[in-house]
Amino acid sequence: MRAEIARIQQAMAEQGYITDRATATAAYLAITLHKPLLVEGPPGVGKTEIAKVLAGVLDTELIRLQCYEGLDVATSLYEWNYAKQLLHIKLGEGTSQSVGEREAEIFSEPFLLERPLLRAIRASRQTVLLIDEIDRSDEEFEAFLLEVLSEHQVTIPEIGTVRATYEPCVVLTSNRTRELSEALRRRCLYLWIDYPSLEKELEIVRAKVPAIDTSLAGSIAAFVQAVRRQRLVKTPGVAETLDWAHALVALGAETIDDETATETLGCVLKDEADIRQVRADVASRGAAGLVAAGKTSG
Amino acid sequence: MTVGVDAVGLIADFSRRLRERSVSTTTGSTIDGVRALAAVEATDKSDVRLAFRSLFVHRRNDLVVFDEVFEEWWAAVHSSAAKVRHLAEQDRNPSVIAPSDEPQRANVATALTRWASSLGETEDGETVPLAAPSTRDATGTKDFRLYTSEDLAALEQVAASIVRRLRIRRSRRWRHARRRGRLDPRRIVRLALATGGDPIRLAHRERALRRTKLVVLCDVSGSMDLYSRFLLQVVYALQRAFARVETFVFSTRVVRITDSLSQGSYRKALDALAAVPDGGWSGGTKIGASVDAVRMGWPRLFDRRTAVIILSDGWDTGEPEVLGNALAALRRRAGRIIWLNPLLGSPTYQPLTRGMQAALPHLDIFAPAHDIASLERLAMHLSF
Repeated sequence: MRAEIARIQQAMAEQGYITDRATATAAYLAITLHKPLLVEGPPGVGKTEIAKVLAGVLDTELIRLQCYEGLDVATSLYEWNYAKQLLHIKLGEGTSQSVGEREAEIFSEPFLLERPLLRAIRASRQTVLLIDEIDRSDEEFEAFLLEVLSEHQVTIPEIGTVRATYEPCVVLTSNRTRELSEALRRRCLYLWIDYPSLEKELEIVRAKVPAIDTSLAGSIAAFVQAVRRQRLVKTPGVAETLDWAHALVALGAETIDDETATETLGCVLKDEADIRQVRADVASRGAAGLVAAGKTSG
Repeated sequence: MTVGVDAVGLIADFSRRLRERSVSTTTGSTIDGVRALAAVEATDKSDVRLAFRSLFVHRRNDLVVFDEVFEEWWAAVHSSAAKVRHLAEQDRNPSVIAPSDEPQRANVATALTRWASSLGETEDGETVPLAAPSTRDATGTKDFRLYTSEDLAALEQVAASIVRRLRIRRSRRWRHARRRGRLDPRRIVRLALATGGDPIRLAHRERALRRTKLVVLCDVSGSMDLYSRFLLQVVYALQRAFARVETFVFSTRVVRITDSLSQGSYRKALDALAAVPDGGWSGGTKIGASVDAVRMGWPRLFDRRTAVIILSDGWDTGEPEVLGNALAALRRRAGRIIWLNPLLGSPTYQPLTRGMQAALPHLDIFAPAHDIASLERLAMHLSF
């Protein structure tokens, strides 16, 4: 393994992000090749976390753009400070400036409100730009992003093209609620993150919840693994595992017995039907049965 | 492996292998591949594999193919360089078949002509029983094969309901508006320049419209004859009420009939259809090649707001892989692919034909289209 990749994996672990070689390699290439990294995977496996950790590793600022349907240029790139503009016109009344000059004046940088994309482009050092849940935005926005992603520049009609002095390290995440365009995919490095293995999840729990007892952590990870193998409405992610671990530590539980499991299932499962199903399972096999099932590889 | 002049050729070979397995790659990814190879440990198989995986794979479904191709390629690179060169020289053309190969003209009046002329007979007020006695029932579950011309009014109603579904809805984007809608601060500031900073003249904006387009590919081969005439009738009604429909008919070749269908009266449309040039109908169905022909011949038709409707029974005389690949390529362009199969209305029917098997993974909706009720359900799927 290339030493740099190992170092990134190590640095990520120091930030509390336990990861595998594939993720470390992808992150390393994103930094070295200056290409955006598209991360896909089920909810709750730590896609967004990658960007945060990367910002930590690079010791830089994280700029986040949360996508939603209808996200437009005014909320993602820039907006004019209208109040300031109107005031400025008012103040300039009576001067000999022509309308054209005044227009040029109010549509200039001091009247610009930066939104995340512009901020990342204009930053005075390399930043990490997280474009979260790109699949929630619409196609027009995706097309608009292409300029930012491949040229590291944006165009503002009134001002012109702004080029990045320090190309931001871009991470995009998607939950695959819709298929992304081929053009966007082609411009990105691709990383698929799946649910972690039992060993990896145990490591994550122990790293994130240091106060936890080793055997309890093992039981939690195994229990969740067993639950994930079932057909559920909403399969729990790592985030849910960690919530549960925190909850059990707070409750002072030492092992997962049937009662504790039934009472705290709401931390792991977020759907009534799922909770009923797993409760029935706990009632028949016992929590210990589920833990044992999770420990056998599958 | 060492990074050098060779690397470009080797990576190009890898890229070509992926393309052969329908994973799309570009010259750009080859160049990035060379750069990545310099950035990782080029002798470390795992390093190279992980690096290439993030570069050449763009979607999860391609991961399995990638792993296979990588194993083959790595083995080939390390067994003998000569072999790699040999492989690279073999020119394997992508299997795109023009749908016009072997036009079997001859014996048949085209399905289309038959359709047009038989409907013409109904002009005199006679009903033409098509396959079986007319047994009208109120539930809308009468099979299209049993339709007589008096049932056509019902079809037009369905078309109208589909159109209602497709009717324009608001997108989240803004556009300029006159007088209505919300205030548009940016334009107000501009206008205020003229009045010394007092926003006297107001500007408005409103949500833009979101339009769905419809592309209909109708199978008019012999086996679909009884259905396609009625389905085309529905399409005709659709097109009259809704401007953004493009209609194609295919069997072994493709003809765009949008213009024919948009003739003033239905009668005229039928005449125009009967006059569609060339024979060459029937004699088999090449669904995959036809889909490819439409996709490549009219590339601008397809975007994320296009719903593609394929009306066919899935009896494909082309290769199933061609059909699978054609639909996969279409899937990447279009918003939604809907396959309507009249045979699916029969309780004993199973989509077991090889063509249908190859098609299924790429479809968003696979639904019956043998009666009015099934078409009404279709209307539900069209808004997105």
